Amino acid sequence: MKKVGIVGIGHGKFGVRSDASIRELAFEAVKGCLEDAAISLSEVDSMVTGVAGDEFSFGIQPSAQVHDYIGFHPKPNYRVEAACATGSAALRTGWMNIVSGLADVVLVVGVEKMTEVPTSIATEIMGRAGDAIWEYPFGTTFPGYYAMIANAHMAEYGTTEEQLAMVSVKNHYYGSLNPYAQMQKEITLERALTSFTVAYPLKLYDCSLITDGAAAVLLASEERAKAISKKPIWIAGLGCGTDSMRLGDRRSLTSLQATREAAKAAYKMAGVGPSDIDIATVHDCFTIAEIVAYEDLGFCERGEGGKLIEAKETYVGGRIPVNVDGGLKSKGHPLGATGISMAIEIAKQLRGEAGPRQVKDPEIGLTHNVGGSGQVSFIHIFRRD
Amino acid sequence: MEFKNFSLFISQTKVNRFATDLAEGRILSTICKKCGKQYYPPRADCPSCMGIEMEWKEIKTEGKLLTFTRIHVPPEHFAVRQPLMPFSSVQFEPCPIGILEVEGGLPVMGWIPKMDIKKIRVGMRMKASPFTLPDGKITIVLEAI
Repeated sequence: MKKVGIVGIGHGKFGVRSDASIRELAFEAVKGCLEDAAISLSEVDSMVTGVAGDEFSFGIQPSAQVHDYIGFHPKPNYRVEAACATGSAALRTGWMNIVSGLADVVLVVGVEKMTEVPTSIATEIMGRAGDAIWEYPFGTTFPGYYAMIANAHMAEYGTTEEQLAMVSVKNHYYGSLNPYAQMQKEITLERALTSFTVAYPLKLYDCSLITDGAAAVLLASEERAKAISKKPIWIAGLGCGTDSMRLGDRRSLTSLQATREAAKAAYKMAGVGPSDIDIATVHDCFTIAEIVAYEDLGFCERGEGGKLIEAKETYVGGRIPVNVDGGLKSKGHPLGATGISMAIEIAKQLRGEAGPRQVKDPEIGLTHNVGGSGQVSFIHIFRRD
Repeated sequence: MEFKNFSLFISQTKVNRFATDLAEGRILSTICKKCGKQYYPPRADCPSCMGIEMEWKEIKTEGKLLTFTRIHVPPEHFAVRQPLMPFSSVQFEPCPIGILEVEGGLPVMGWIPKMDIKKIRVGMRMKASPFTLPDGKITIVLEAI
């Protein structure tokens, strides 16, 4: 199979970006990405745009807004969507473009402008990403779905609210070191534990943020990658798995089948196992989701995720550093951009350019990005030369 | 009975009889006539055998609680929007929800209006019942047994 590498990365500032529209946010990331790769847009064959929701930014065809504003037409571009995993779905589509031979150099852009609507409306839009017929009439929200996963996990394995809060403390600590993060401040365990309840038992500091932001990567075929970049980061494995729309239909409420299936495929394709991963970014839309991800990715046994964070094994210097860019929790979660942002953090770490958050000499990194409450999951494994 | 009285947003489905029966006090599932697989929530089509002939059947309403939560920050549709009385405050007390597993492994979502969240436990025995709200909407409640 053809090799595909990341040869350029561009990351806009995440946050409440009331200064910019969706197309302007995308431009920031694309400009950064092209500058990082030191090539011009005319050398790019094709583009993929990831945007999760039309409803946040008042206007369908968000991908056309983006290609129009960066001046990419008339070359190929269209939108890819997979809820909160939209960015990773776009990256996978970009990879397919190159492996299929349709293109040699592909720009993958992920962007979301979520604060154009009030928080309550954003909450409603995201709540409808569950089952709009059979769950939404019970007032379900995204925190609500993960709260139900948390209560099941706590009942089955004895995971504690303190362990959930420890994930938040870690991710805020690393967010404080990431200039692109929405919240650049550390928090204490006590502050996390005493914040108000959003969906029992999840509190404010267990929840990721509503964020505006964009991120872009440039992918290239092996030959072009070597010509463009001194340090291409190779995509070594890809996995995608799915599960039922409704939580109640799942065989387990304490694990995501979509992630387990995606992990199996990605590890097999890359020819590695969980113990080979030096650095990971996982989908911590809620603190419980990071703990479940540790288990589903094989970083620890089922039910041991709480203990893994308690032992600080997912800090830099621990057994497997996770979300040392601040994660969705502190860096922010602009749905379409999140998966691309995860890949950028891994690329930076493998290039050795992560500054104060740098993990010592990593060779293999993994991204894990979940759509909805686990209806779809994407995993990518990256390696450096 | 309009399906929207249960679903709030979606009005057009092949299983809209569900709402009518719910209003009359029955929680219905569907069973595939070809392969016998039972579905709750009800489906018009069977993904197990691609059958499209279904029959309706009441579910057993007693079971054990799979999980639960209480949502304090509700979606806009459910948000309390009432003017505050001068010198007063309105305390928003959200109602817990849960998923009950009844006979056949069927998951039934419902409101848990009569329990303190601290007393709700995964695995507890509960019963699901249809419930008509003051505004005429119909829903499902779960109660401890």
